[in-house]
Amino acid sequence: MKPELLVLLSVVFHWAIALLCAPLFLGVTAKIKAFIGGKVGPSVCQPYFDLARLLRKKCVYSSSATWVFRMFPLVAVAAMLVLALLVPFGASKAPLSFPGDIFLAAYLLALTRFFMITAALDTGSSFEGMGASREAFFACLSELALFMNIITLACLSRSISLSAMLGADVPLSWVSLGPVLLLVMASFFIVLLAENCRIPIDDPDTHLELTMIHEVMILDHSGVDLAYLLYASAVKLWIFAAILVTIILPVPTGHPLLDMLIFFAGMLGLAVLVGLLESSMARIRLNRVRDLLLIAFVLAFLGLIVTLWRF
Amino acid sequence: MERILTRAWQVPGGELSLKLDPLSSLFLIAIAILSVCAGIYSVGYLRPYWGKKPLGLHVFFYIMLVMVLFLIVSANNAILFLGAWEGMTIVTYLLIIFNDEKPVVRKAGFIYFIASHCATFFLFLMFFLMAHISGSMNFDVMFRTAFSPFLAGMIFLLALAGFGVKAGFVPVHIWLPHAHPASPSHISAVMSGVVIKMGIYGICRVLWIVGVLPHWCGYLLLVIGVVSGVLGVLYALGQHELKKLLAYHSIENIGIIALGLGVGMLGRSYGIPLLAVLGFGGALLHVVNHSLFKGLLFLGAGSVIQKTHTGEMDRMGGLTRSMPLTSALFLIGALSICGLPLFNGFISEFIIYFGLFQGVFGLALPGVIFCSLGIISLALMGALALACFCKVYGVVFSGEARESVKGKTSPCLQNAGAPVVRGSVAEDTSCWMLLPMIVLAGLCVWIGLSPQTMARLTFLGGAYLAYTDISSIDLQAVFVPLDMVISSAFIFLALILVFFSIRRLLLGPRPMPVRSTWSCGFSQVTPRFQYTSSSFARSIIDLVRLVLMFRRHGGQATGLFPGKTHMSSSVHDFFEERIFRPGLAILTGLSKKVNNAGIRYTQLYLIYIFLFLIFLLAWKLK
Repeated sequence: MKPELLVLLSVVFHWAIALLCAPLFLGVTAKIKAFIGGKVGPSVCQPYFDLARLLRKKCVYSSSATWVFRMFPLVAVAAMLVLALLVPFGASKAPLSFPGDIFLAAYLLALTRFFMITAALDTGSSFEGMGASREAFFACLSELALFMNIITLACLSRSISLSAMLGADVPLSWVSLGPVLLLVMASFFIVLLAENCRIPIDDPDTHLELTMIHEVMILDHSGVDLAYLLYASAVKLWIFAAILVTIILPVPTGHPLLDMLIFFAGMLGLAVLVGLLESSMARIRLNRVRDLLLIAFVLAFLGLIVTLWRF
Repeated sequence: MERILTRAWQVPGGELSLKLDPLSSLFLIAIAILSVCAGIYSVGYLRPYWGKKPLGLHVFFYIMLVMVLFLIVSANNAILFLGAWEGMTIVTYLLIIFNDEKPVVRKAGFIYFIASHCATFFLFLMFFLMAHISGSMNFDVMFRTAFSPFLAGMIFLLALAGFGVKAGFVPVHIWLPHAHPASPSHISAVMSGVVIKMGIYGICRVLWIVGVLPHWCGYLLLVIGVVSGVLGVLYALGQHELKKLLAYHSIENIGIIALGLGVGMLGRSYGIPLLAVLGFGGALLHVVNHSLFKGLLFLGAGSVIQKTHTGEMDRMGGLTRSMPLTSALFLIGALSICGLPLFNGFISEFIIYFGLFQGVFGLALPGVIFCSLGIISLALMGALALACFCKVYGVVFSGEARESVKGKTSPCLQNAGAPVVRGSVAEDTSCWMLLPMIVLAGLCVWIGLSPQTMARLTFLGGAYLAYTDISSIDLQAVFVPLDMVISSAFIFLALILVFFSIRRLLLGPRPMPVRSTWSCGFSQVTPRFQYTSSSFARSIIDLVRLVLMFRRHGGQATGLFPGKTHMSSSVHDFFEERIFRPGLAILTGLSKKVNNAGIRYTQLYLIYIFLFLIFLLAWKLK
């Protein structure tokens, strides 16, 4: 086969994993929450049904909104798809991988955030302005923790490519790097929760606009646009989870099928963990979120110190 | 690579020597592009002043400024350089005080003038020190001179003091937030885009002349960059005056440039050529990029201010509807300055990040620590700049108009429930003002999507500063990732197109229903309910209120039936309020005392001056 065709196939395969499985993660989390709450809960495929329903609906636009508002869902979903190409999923290596792709990943997230905040302000609603302000603030703090972790991982792997930093290519073994990996993992887990608006930072299911961050910003999106946004956030959660799982389970067995299996088991485990966490605690007070994110930063900082100590 | 033009000049020590090298040519490019764009813009911008102000004089000063800027970057002689430098200070002052009937403008100009002159004092010291050691005022001769480490450190410190004021490093940045809002917008654009870059140019020139610097110089510049960058953007976040905010952002970007230069210096002093070229090259690319997008933003701000007759962001809102093109162009500038992919800011920050990580991998422990600090601060600056420009774009251009705008073309102030005229394209700004902005925005996108040409040029400048041959360095290590970034950007654009088509397909060709914003059952009473720039930034400001000096006046509701109340909040500059104001007060007190104790007559002063001159003459003749 021609090499171009191979690359194309790998891209399609890689996308297929992220695109098909991403909503499942949310479904599993919701199922666990329902189970802990003593309910049957919706089927794990409910996110797919939701998306299908929304895609059939028309959009309603706010009278104050401009083209930025309509642009945001497109930017969000496109950015997440590009991001999905940069992250390795188990045995499926990242199709796009080059030194410095980690900055592209971080700044693509930032690009989405820019459009999300301006789209929220575009509606002229004070609720959405509130969410926008919080999002901008918390993003600054989680960015700090994120980059701290990136430095640590870069120091460990001597590389600034996401694929090389994570997973199979690096002997990130728990035996020799236990403490560092533990710190990075804890810090990155908090970042994951914050960036994806999960409990205890934000509640994706609440309808109390005053206390929400992310949900309040997409209040005015509807129909296809909302489907795009929900899908984008599902893919985002999938990507973050994939990164975390690859950090936790660096077990290159060499056998692609087995690697894939381990990866999916890890993702399932993480989904269950998020579900358990969400059913065991409430959303923390808004002014404590700051402290939680600073804790993530401090953990990452300690991780870097331990790494440098080893030099 | 180098072209030198030399003519004799009567001035002692002086020589009319002009030189074009990779370093100066980069700055020349930035000056040429921005000054032409701002010049064209001024045709439209100054139209309301026709017949009311001496515009001929203004244009004359403007052309003088451009010439003097060219002279500064091409001067190859210290005397010529200092002359041009002083010329720049004076001409810029004359341009700032265009609206000299306003006391605040005169004050801003005065602050600028004093700050610049104090800085020039250090420059005189520095150049005379260098000339004393090398025995010539010519830069090439100085370049060939070996300076002892102590003297090299001294020269570097003097350069930081002298050029740092012009560049706007924290804490000597205080003139900048005064001068930029006071001057007309095209002048702010040129000042922020290229005049403050002359400070950076000066530091680069000194780095080129003084080859061997102690290690601590690189660390110092890196830390200055970090401090300026983070504080600059934090102060920017606290502002609600559009041009003042942009002025603080210039400080941030100067910080990023200094960070890059610091990395380059570390690479040079530890003998890692790739690190040096990446640091210097990234910084120089950011110089060009910043002049493009900051010029664009200041010109956009000028259009907004001309239309709304105010610089207060909290009075604006919804301007996209009345000036759609300006809004789109401003958005491009905002995305560029935040360093987001597809635009030029990302490319230079990418290279600087790349350099910083090279430092983490290649340097010893102190270098690793400082480079990590740089990475973290760059990330923080990025996130804060994003918050800041979301705020600017969101408050100024999005949402609803907060106040009816004075003047002829007022976008309608909507009453509650009144139908909104969608897409009513009221007259945008004149084409004289739009055209230069389109050019600048186009250049931002061009560098963002095809950076190779410009990056090669800046790496040439970087290699020139790093004293290495460009061909000896494996630049493919940077260009291959850059190519990949560009292809990802195109994939991203293609995906946007795909999803746009899918949406179009699903929704059909008919326009979608437009309703008023969902506000949880409580329909909006007045557009002033919207989040303002101050409330948007409040939570971040609260976290760092120690440095930012946040002040709030009024706004407390008292009693059971509280009446009308007013609230205002402002962020004050710690360095201005706590360091310069008290310090200068002490100095003024001291000089008053000296004045009272001594002579009272002007004649006596003249006699003293005369005697001093005679003394100098006698000393020289002996």
